[in-house]
Amino acid sequence: MNAAPAKKAWAIMASKTSPAEPPEVVTETVIDMAELGKLLAARRKAANIPHLPRNAGTDRTPSKQALLDEIAKLGAKW
Amino acid sequence: MNGEGDGNSGYRPEFVAALQLFARVSEAMHARGLQRPILVGGAAAEFWSHSAVTTGDFDICTTRQPELEEEMQQAGFVRPSGAGAMLKGWVHPDLRLGFEVVAEVPMDGNIEPTRLRLIRPVGETALFRVISVEDLIADRMGQYASRSAPDRINQARMLLSLHPDADMDYLERRTREESMGDYGVEDITG
Repeated sequence: MNAAPAKKAWAIMASKTSPAEPPEVVTETVIDMAELGKLLAARRKAANIPHLPRNAGTDRTPSKQALLDEIAKLGAKW
Repeated sequence: MNGEGDGNSGYRPEFVAALQLFARVSEAMHARGLQRPILVGGAAAEFWSHSAVTTGDFDICTTRQPELEEEMQQAGFVRPSGAGAMLKGWVHPDLRLGFEVVAEVPMDGNIEPTRLRLIRPVGETALFRVISVEDLIADRMGQYASRSAPDRINQARMLLSLHPDADMDYLERRTREESMGDYGVEDITG
Protein backbone atom coordinates (compact mmCIF):
# COMPACT_ATOMS: atom_id res chain seq x y z
CA MET A 1 0.00 0.00 0.00
CA ASN A 2 2.91 2.35 0.58
CA ALA A 3 3.52 2.74 -3.14
CA ALA A 4 -0.02 3.81 -3.91
CA PRO A 5 0.43 7.60 -3.57
CA ALA A 6 3.40 7.63 -5.89
CA LYS A 7 1.71 5.49 -8.50
CA LYS A 8 -1.44 7.57 -8.25
CA ALA A 9 0.49 10.78 -8.71
CA TRP A 10 2.05 9.35 -11.84
CA ALA A 11 -1.37 8.39 -13.17
CA ILE A 12 -2.73 11.89 -12.59
CA MET A 13 0.18 13.48 -14.39
CA ALA A 14 -0.12 11.04 -17.25
CA SER A 15 -3.77 11.92 -17.69
CA LYS A 16 -3.02 15.45 -18.85
CA THR A 17 -2.37 14.41 -22.41
CA SER A 18 -3.76 10.95 -23.00
CA PRO A 19 -7.50 10.48 -22.37
CA ALA A 20 -10.25 11.35 -24.78
CA GLU A 21 -13.37 13.12 -23.63
CA PRO A 22 -16.05 10.62 -22.61
CA PRO A 23 -18.82 10.77 -25.19
CA GLU A 24 -22.38 11.65 -24.30
CA VAL A 25 -24.65 8.67 -24.53
CA VAL A 26 -27.78 10.15 -26.03
CA THR A 27 -29.92 7.06 -25.52
CA GLU A 28 -29.43 6.78 -21.79
CA THR A 29 -32.28 7.26 -19.38
CA VAL A 30 -32.51 10.61 -17.70
CA ILE A 31 -32.59 10.40 -13.92
CA ASP A 32 -35.20 12.65 -12.34
CA MET A 33 -33.56 14.20 -9.27
CA ALA A 34 -36.90 14.72 -7.54
CA GLU A 35 -37.70 11.02 -7.81
CA LEU A 36 -34.19 10.04 -6.80
CA GLY A 37 -34.46 12.35 -3.81
CA LYS A 38 -37.62 10.63 -2.59
CA LEU A 39 -36.00 7.22 -2.96
CA LEU A 40 -32.83 8.23 -1.15
CA ALA A 41 -34.76 10.02 1.59
CA ALA A 42 -36.61 6.80 2.34
CA ARG A 43 -33.38 4.81 2.38
CA ARG A 44 -31.68 7.36 4.62
CA LYS A 45 -34.58 7.22 7.05
CA ALA A 46 -34.69 3.43 7.06
CA ALA A 47 -30.95 3.14 7.63
CA ASN A 48 -30.78 6.16 9.96
CA ILE A 49 -28.01 7.75 7.92
CA PRO A 50 -26.98 11.12 9.39
CA HIS A 51 -25.26 14.07 7.79
CA LEU A 52 -21.54 13.40 7.67
CA PRO A 53 -19.04 15.99 8.86
CA ARG A 54 -17.56 18.12 6.15
CA ASN A 55 -14.25 17.04 4.72
CA ALA A 56 -11.28 17.77 6.93
CA GLY A 57 -9.79 19.79 4.09
CA THR A 58 -6.29 18.49 4.62
CA ASP A 59 -5.83 17.51 0.98
CA ARG A 60 -7.03 20.69 -0.71
CA THR A 61 -5.02 22.03 -3.62
CA PRO A 62 -3.89 25.67 -3.50
CA SER A 63 -6.41 26.55 -6.20
CA LYS A 64 -9.21 24.86 -4.28
CA GLN A 65 -8.29 26.67 -1.07
CA ALA A 66 -8.17 29.97 -2.99
CA LEU A 67 -11.64 29.26 -4.36
CA LEU A 68 -13.01 28.47 -0.91
CA ASP A 69 -11.44 31.67 0.43
CA GLU A 70 -13.27 33.65 -2.26
CA ILE A 71 -16.54 31.92 -1.41
CA ALA A 72 -15.97 32.80 2.24
CA LYS A 73 -15.67 36.48 1.26
CA LEU A 74 -19.19 36.19 -0.13
CA GLY A 75 -20.42 35.09 3.26
CA ALA A 76 -20.43 31.35 2.88
CA LYS A 77 -18.01 29.34 5.02
CA TRP A 78 -16.70 25.96 3.84
CA MET B 1 -34.96 27.58 -13.07
CA ASN B 2 -38.68 27.78 -12.58
CA GLY B 3 -38.64 28.76 -8.93
CA GLU B 4 -39.86 25.47 -7.52
CA GLY B 5 -36.84 25.20 -5.26
CA ASP B 6 -36.18 21.80 -3.77
CA GLY B 7 -39.82 20.83 -3.34
CA ASN B 8 -39.96 17.61 -1.35
CA SER B 9 -36.77 16.11 -2.70
CA GLY B 10 -34.92 16.48 0.60
CA TYR B 11 -31.81 17.98 -0.97
CA ARG B 12 -30.45 21.26 0.39
CA PRO B 13 -32.18 24.17 -1.37
CA GLU B 14 -28.82 25.83 -2.04
CA PHE B 15 -27.55 22.66 -3.63
CA VAL B 16 -30.62 22.32 -5.80
CA ALA B 17 -30.22 25.93 -6.94
CA ALA B 18 -26.60 25.25 -7.82
CA LEU B 19 -27.48 22.17 -9.85
CA GLN B 20 -30.22 24.05 -11.66
CA LEU B 21 -27.64 26.63 -12.67
CA PHE B 22 -25.11 23.96 -13.63
CA ALA B 23 -27.75 22.25 -15.77
CA ARG B 24 -28.53 25.48 -17.60
CA VAL B 25 -24.84 26.05 -18.31
CA SER B 26 -24.57 22.43 -19.44
CA GLU B 27 -27.56 22.82 -21.72
CA ALA B 28 -26.00 25.92 -23.26
CA MET B 29 -22.90 23.88 -24.05
CA HIS B 30 -25.05 21.17 -25.56
CA ALA B 31 -26.87 23.74 -27.69
CA ARG B 32 -23.49 24.76 -29.12
CA GLY B 33 -22.89 21.20 -30.22
CA LEU B 34 -20.51 20.51 -27.34
CA GLN B 35 -20.66 17.83 -24.71
CA ARG B 36 -22.08 18.70 -21.35
CA PRO B 37 -19.41 19.04 -18.63
CA ILE B 38 -19.27 16.34 -15.96
CA LEU B 39 -19.79 16.85 -12.25
CA VAL B 40 -17.26 15.04 -10.06
CA GLY B 41 -15.83 15.28 -6.54
CA GLY B 42 -17.64 16.58 -3.50
CA ALA B 43 -20.67 17.87 -5.39
CA ALA B 44 -21.15 14.45 -6.96
CA ALA B 45 -20.90 13.03 -3.44
CA GLU B 46 -23.59 15.42 -2.25
CA PHE B 47 -25.80 14.47 -5.19
CA TRP B 48 -25.51 10.70 -4.69
CA SER B 49 -25.66 11.00 -0.88
CA HIS B 50 -28.85 13.06 -0.83
CA SER B 51 -26.95 15.91 0.83
CA ALA B 52 -25.71 13.68 3.67
CA VAL B 53 -22.33 14.99 2.46
CA THR B 54 -22.33 18.72 1.73
CA THR B 55 -20.02 20.91 -0.32
CA GLY B 56 -19.68 24.52 -1.32
CA ASP B 57 -17.61 24.08 -4.42
CA PHE B 58 -18.25 22.18 -7.60
CA ASP B 59 -15.54 20.27 -9.45
CA ILE B 60 -16.13 19.91 -13.17
CA CYS B 61 -14.48 18.04 -16.02
CA THR B 62 -14.55 19.34 -19.58
CA THR B 63 -12.27 19.41 -22.59
CA ARG B 64 -13.84 22.70 -23.64
CA GLN B 65 -12.93 24.99 -20.77
CA PRO B 66 -12.91 28.27 -22.74
CA GLU B 67 -16.42 27.68 -24.05
CA LEU B 68 -17.63 26.57 -20.62
CA GLU B 69 -16.25 29.71 -19.02
CA GLU B 70 -18.04 31.81 -21.61
CA GLU B 71 -21.30 30.16 -20.66
CA MET B 72 -20.56 30.50 -16.96
CA GLN B 73 -20.03 34.22 -17.37
CA GLN B 74 -23.33 34.43 -19.20
CA ALA B 75 -24.92 32.67 -16.19
CA GLY B 76 -23.52 35.22 -13.74
CA PHE B 77 -20.28 33.63 -12.61
CA VAL B 78 -17.35 35.95 -12.04
CA ARG B 79 -13.61 35.56 -11.61
CA PRO B 80 -13.00 37.46 -8.36
CA SER B 81 -11.12 40.70 -8.90
CA GLY B 82 -7.75 40.85 -7.24
CA ALA B 83 -7.69 37.11 -6.74
CA GLY B 84 -4.28 35.51 -6.55
CA ALA B 85 -2.72 33.46 -9.29
CA MET B 86 -3.69 30.31 -7.43
CA LEU B 87 -7.37 30.85 -8.11
CA LYS B 88 -8.57 28.90 -11.12
CA GLY B 89 -12.25 28.74 -10.28
CA TRP B 90 -15.27 30.93 -10.67
CA VAL B 91 -17.74 32.10 -8.05
CA HIS B 92 -21.39 32.99 -8.25
CA PRO B 93 -22.06 36.02 -6.02
CA ASP B 94 -25.76 35.32 -5.57
CA LEU B 95 -25.51 31.61 -4.85
CA ARG B 96 -22.24 32.05 -2.93
CA LEU B 97 -20.58 29.00 -4.39
CA GLY B 98 -17.68 28.19 -6.65
CA PHE B 99 -17.05 26.07 -9.71
CA GLU B 100 -13.64 24.84 -10.82
CA VAL B 101 -12.57 22.84 -13.84
CA VAL B 102 -10.28 20.23 -12.30
CA ALA B 103 -9.51 18.03 -15.31
CA GLU B 104 -10.48 17.34 -18.89
CA VAL B 105 -11.93 13.93 -18.08
CA PRO B 106 -13.01 12.25 -14.83
CA MET B 107 -10.64 10.01 -12.91
CA ASP B 108 -7.81 9.97 -15.42
CA GLY B 109 -10.12 8.66 -18.12
CA ASN B 110 -10.55 5.33 -16.35
CA ILE B 111 -14.33 5.40 -16.11
CA GLU B 112 -16.62 3.69 -18.57
CA PRO B 113 -18.32 6.54 -20.49
CA THR B 114 -21.63 4.68 -20.57
CA ARG B 115 -21.67 4.87 -16.77
CA LEU B 116 -22.01 8.64 -16.80
CA ARG B 117 -25.48 9.67 -15.71
CA LEU B 118 -27.71 12.34 -17.18
CA ILE B 119 -29.71 14.19 -14.53
CA ARG B 120 -32.72 16.47 -14.58
CA PRO B 121 -32.51 18.64 -11.45
CA VAL B 122 -35.51 19.37 -9.30
CA GLY B 123 -37.60 22.13 -10.89
CA GLU B 124 -35.57 22.27 -14.10
CA THR B 125 -35.83 20.99 -17.65
CA ALA B 126 -32.13 21.34 -18.52
CA LEU B 127 -29.86 18.35 -17.90
CA PHE B 128 -26.38 17.84 -16.50
CA ARG B 129 -23.93 14.92 -16.37
CA VAL B 130 -22.43 13.34 -13.27
CA ILE B 131 -20.11 10.40 -12.65
CA SER B 132 -21.80 7.18 -11.58
CA VAL B 133 -22.16 6.32 -7.92
CA GLU B 134 -19.88 3.33 -8.50
CA ASP B 135 -17.09 5.54 -9.86
CA LEU B 136 -17.64 8.01 -7.04
CA ILE B 137 -17.33 5.29 -4.40
CA ALA B 138 -14.19 4.02 -6.11
CA ASP B 139 -12.85 7.58 -6.10
CA ARG B 140 -13.46 7.86 -2.36
CA MET B 141 -11.66 4.56 -1.80
CA GLY B 142 -8.76 5.73 -3.92
CA GLN B 143 -8.40 8.82 -1.77
CA TYR B 144 -8.65 6.65 1.33
CA ALA B 145 -5.97 4.34 0.00
CA SER B 146 -3.65 7.26 -0.66
CA ARG B 147 -3.83 8.06 3.07
CA SER B 148 -4.48 11.70 2.22
CA ALA B 149 -8.12 11.52 3.28
CA PRO B 150 -8.84 8.84 5.89
CA ASP B 151 -12.43 10.03 6.32
CA ARG B 152 -13.36 9.06 2.77
CA ILE B 153 -14.04 5.44 3.66
CA ASN B 154 -17.02 6.63 5.71
CA GLN B 155 -18.36 8.40 2.64
CA ALA B 156 -17.82 5.27 0.55
CA ARG B 157 -19.69 3.10 3.05
CA MET B 158 -22.55 5.54 3.37
CA LEU B 159 -22.87 5.89 -0.41
CA LEU B 160 -22.98 2.14 -0.92
CA SER B 161 -25.59 1.72 1.81
CA LEU B 162 -27.72 4.29 0.00
CA HIS B 163 -27.25 2.53 -3.34
CA PRO B 164 -27.62 -1.21 -2.74
CA ASP B 165 -28.50 -1.58 -6.42
CA ALA B 166 -25.01 -0.50 -7.49
CA ASP B 167 -23.22 -2.70 -10.03
CA MET B 168 -20.99 -4.66 -7.65
CA ASP B 169 -18.80 -6.17 -10.37
CA TYR B 170 -18.00 -2.77 -11.81
CA LEU B 171 -17.55 -1.32 -8.32
CA GLU B 172 -15.12 -4.07 -7.39
CA ARG B 173 -13.04 -3.49 -10.52
CA ARG B 174 -13.01 0.27 -10.21
CA THR B 175 -12.25 0.21 -6.48
CA ARG B 176 -9.29 -2.08 -7.13
CA GLU B 177 -8.07 0.24 -9.89
CA GLU B 178 -8.40 3.41 -7.83
CA SER B 179 -6.79 1.90 -4.73
CA MET B 180 -3.97 0.27 -6.70
CA GLY B 181 -5.31 -3.14 -5.73
CA ASP B 182 -5.44 -2.53 -2.01
CA TYR B 183 -9.20 -2.45 -1.51
CA GLY B 184 -12.36 -3.98 -2.91
CA VAL B 185 -16.08 -4.07 -2.23
CA GLU B 186 -15.68 -6.23 0.86
CA ASP B 187 -13.65 -3.46 2.47
CA ILE B 188 -16.55 -1.08 1.95
CA THR B 189 -19.29 -3.40 3.14
CA GLY B 190 -17.24 -4.88 5.96
